[in-house]
Amino acid sequence: MANSATQAGLARQFWRGGSRLITSLLSLLVTLLGLLAFTFMLSHQSPVDPVLQVAGDRASESTYQQVRHDLGLDQPLPVQFWRYLEHLARGDLGMSHITAQPVTSDLARAFPATLELATCAMIFGAVFGITLALLAAWKPGGLLDNLARLISLLGYSVPVFWLGLLGLLLFYAVLHWSAGPGRLDDIWIYTLEPKTGLVLVDSWLSGDREMFRNAIAHLWLPVAVLGMLSMAAITRLLRAALLEENGKEYVTLARAKGASRTRILLCHIFPNVRGTLITVLGLSYATLLEGSVLTETVFAWPGVGRYLTTALFASDVPAILGSTLLIGGCFVLLNALVDALTWLTDPRTR
Amino acid sequence: MKPFAYAVLTLALSASFAANAATPPDTLVIAQSIDDASSFDPAEGFELTSVQVFTNLYQRLVQSDPQNPNELKPTLASSWEAGKDNRSLTVTLRDGATFASGNPARPEDVIFSLSRVVKLNLDPSFILTQLGWTKENVESQLKKIDANHVQISWQANVSPAYVLSLLAAPVASILDAKTVLANQQNNDLGNKWLATHSAGSGPFQIRRYVPHEVVLLTANPRSPGDAPKLKNILIKNVPEAATRRLLLEQGDTDIARNLGVDQISALKGKPGVKPLAIPMASLYYIQFNIEAQPALKNPALWQAARYLFDYHGIADDLLKGQFQVHQSFLPAGFPGALNETPYQYDPEKAKAILAKAGLKDVSFKLAVSNQPPYLDIAQALQASFAKGGIKVELIPGLSTEVATNVKAHKYEATLNAWGADYFDPNTNASAFAWNPEDGSKTLAWRSNWHIPELSKQTLAATAESDPAKRIALYQAMQRDVMKNSPYVIGLQARNLIAVRDNLKGYVQGINPDMVYYSQVSK
Repeated sequence: MANSATQAGLARQFWRGGSRLITSLLSLLVTLLGLLAFTFMLSHQSPVDPVLQVAGDRASESTYQQVRHDLGLDQPLPVQFWRYLEHLARGDLGMSHITAQPVTSDLARAFPATLELATCAMIFGAVFGITLALLAAWKPGGLLDNLARLISLLGYSVPVFWLGLLGLLLFYAVLHWSAGPGRLDDIWIYTLEPKTGLVLVDSWLSGDREMFRNAIAHLWLPVAVLGMLSMAAITRLLRAALLEENGKEYVTLARAKGASRTRILLCHIFPNVRGTLITVLGLSYATLLEGSVLTETVFAWPGVGRYLTTALFASDVPAILGSTLLIGGCFVLLNALVDALTWLTDPRTR
Repeated sequence: MKPFAYAVLTLALSASFAANAATPPDTLVIAQSIDDASSFDPAEGFELTSVQVFTNLYQRLVQSDPQNPNELKPTLASSWEAGKDNRSLTVTLRDGATFASGNPARPEDVIFSLSRVVKLNLDPSFILTQLGWTKENVESQLKKIDANHVQISWQANVSPAYVLSLLAAPVASILDAKTVLANQQNNDLGNKWLATHSAGSGPFQIRRYVPHEVVLLTANPRSPGDAPKLKNILIKNVPEAATRRLLLEQGDTDIARNLGVDQISALKGKPGVKPLAIPMASLYYIQFNIEAQPALKNPALWQAARYLFDYHGIADDLLKGQFQVHQSFLPAGFPGALNETPYQYDPEKAKAILAKAGLKDVSFKLAVSNQPPYLDIAQALQASFAKGGIKVELIPGLSTEVATNVKAHKYEATLNAWGADYFDPNTNASAFAWNPEDGSKTLAWRSNWHIPELSKQTLAATAESDPAKRIALYQAMQRDVMKNSPYVIGLQARNLIAVRDNLKGYVQGINPDMVYYSQVSK
């Protein structure tokens, strides 16, 4: 009897889990499809003539018409979209008009650059952001709290473009602490074998430690600049969450029992804001993965942000759709990951 | 604290490595934006980045002499002779010339290279189709005579001298047909492969091209002519001008292209760098769409506008060093260019002209790219036109958006730039002074300006064989357009670049393709 009840329970749980998975997959698909349709429509509303972008200002009428036909722009919009979906189903994102390369190979090159920068910036932001928030919440209104607030305010309000240029001026041009813009010095460009597209990993795998060090020398400054942004967000939100918990009864109880301030903060309050922490980290990471156009521009970093912006300016629809799909996919997946982590760590959400 | 100390140590170590960075001695490193490049196929590439590279990858039958662009220099051809009817050229190929692959340059390569431009019908093909070449007839116009002679014929009424200047354009680059055909896909005449590879006889060849990242060229020791002095040319994408300046100051690049006025002034007097302002064949002008409103059709308005363009205020103060005043449709440095500047900024005179014509409360919308220097110039024009009683409303947009609207006649006036496509006066005459009413969207067409007489003169000038007479024709046309046309040509741009001062032998000419890397050393 008991055995069959457990079995039925298990089956129910399995069924619930399965249907949950299917629902999330379906919603993921619908979200991405909606995103695609919307972007597709918007791209065609743009006041820029994509044919002109490809054929140029000077081309003859016959060249113009030929390019228009080659791009499939002489077809009605729904037909164009359907064709795009057909190709997509085969894993073909089309050809970019500007680079004249398949969008998949363009993205396969640009995304690792962004991934590397974003992940390192995320780690930077998380480590310093959490530390600052804890220091601030340790004694609200104290010196450390004000300092943390100042730093996070700066990170929020200083334009990243300006911060990047200033950082280059100071750390690259004056102090020579950074190796400057780009991902590697020119001499390595000949020798680096791109395996993963992540320069840190590739240079490590090449066994050339000097190249690896050079990669770090190039990477740390854009990481710090970009990390400042997510650090600011993490500090502010986490500090607020920590302070909110601070007023709750279990904290008063712990205090009455004589627990030290540090102990209360680290062992009682901090674990209770893990939900907020996971959400904030997930969102920050997703934002960073979109690629930061300005940071990538200043540091000559060939990432997704710049790729998408160049495509937008040129009305390069396949490149726009491909990048949107990639970024959208990252967002949706990270959201799902945040949900799953919250579900795992917080029994109340089950 | 330990991890922190370790991190600082690592940084310091990498910093010590970064401190002594200099460009490799056998490589010329260039920082510029390469985001515009779409293809390195001479039949397709028509963007600044690709055109600047073509002269270094490919040779044409004839080419402008780098030191004296007005002179055509035999390059892959050793000599040529015009046919008796002035409708053909017989070209002798240079003895023993080979491509980077080692294949010899043959008449077949000339025929293949020129005919594929017409057959592919891409962006720059209009330069060669002017000769009356079509997909159907082009093969019959190009004939192999013997192992090193080829005959080039045409149907259009143009002089052999004019044809030679078209054959000197990058689109007429001679390709290694055997290599290209070995790499063609779906009968595309190698178009896809050539987008990222090269198959020419120029001093360099493409070793690696990563879009939006880097173009790496390596020396072609087989190139007929002077062997290149450096082993590699590395063109890296640095989209931000301020970053390019920093790289140059640090010695991490040898040439920084397309700098702004502020970057150049910051570089002045800095040790180790040499700022350069190279005149370009790029004219900045206002153009009216004369059908957009009645006032814009009135020649008095065009005349008044010539006195409301603050030429020297922009060239000498606002964008000092980036422009020179120029008022005719052929840029200074071009054969036949008229360098007189009869118009000065004079709001009172403009007011008088408007009053005499009974034009009151004139206002128009000026479509302009939102990029520098367009918007800066447009704002200056807005102020100077206001002094003459003309209200200018600025409509800033993406440059492609402005181009789209102008080509659809959806604008009142626009501030734009026009660059030369090949080194012959006709490149600009056929834009400013030609409206054949056959669907060609020339600048005159974009203005709705109907000019049968000027159009006839433009055609006649391409048929004229006597160079002196030809120049006289272009000068007369420039005077006509300067005095009475819906354009106000005001400025000629200079290309602001900066180089390291140990660089020797770098030559850059007035046209975008006149960028010569082969004699550079350091």
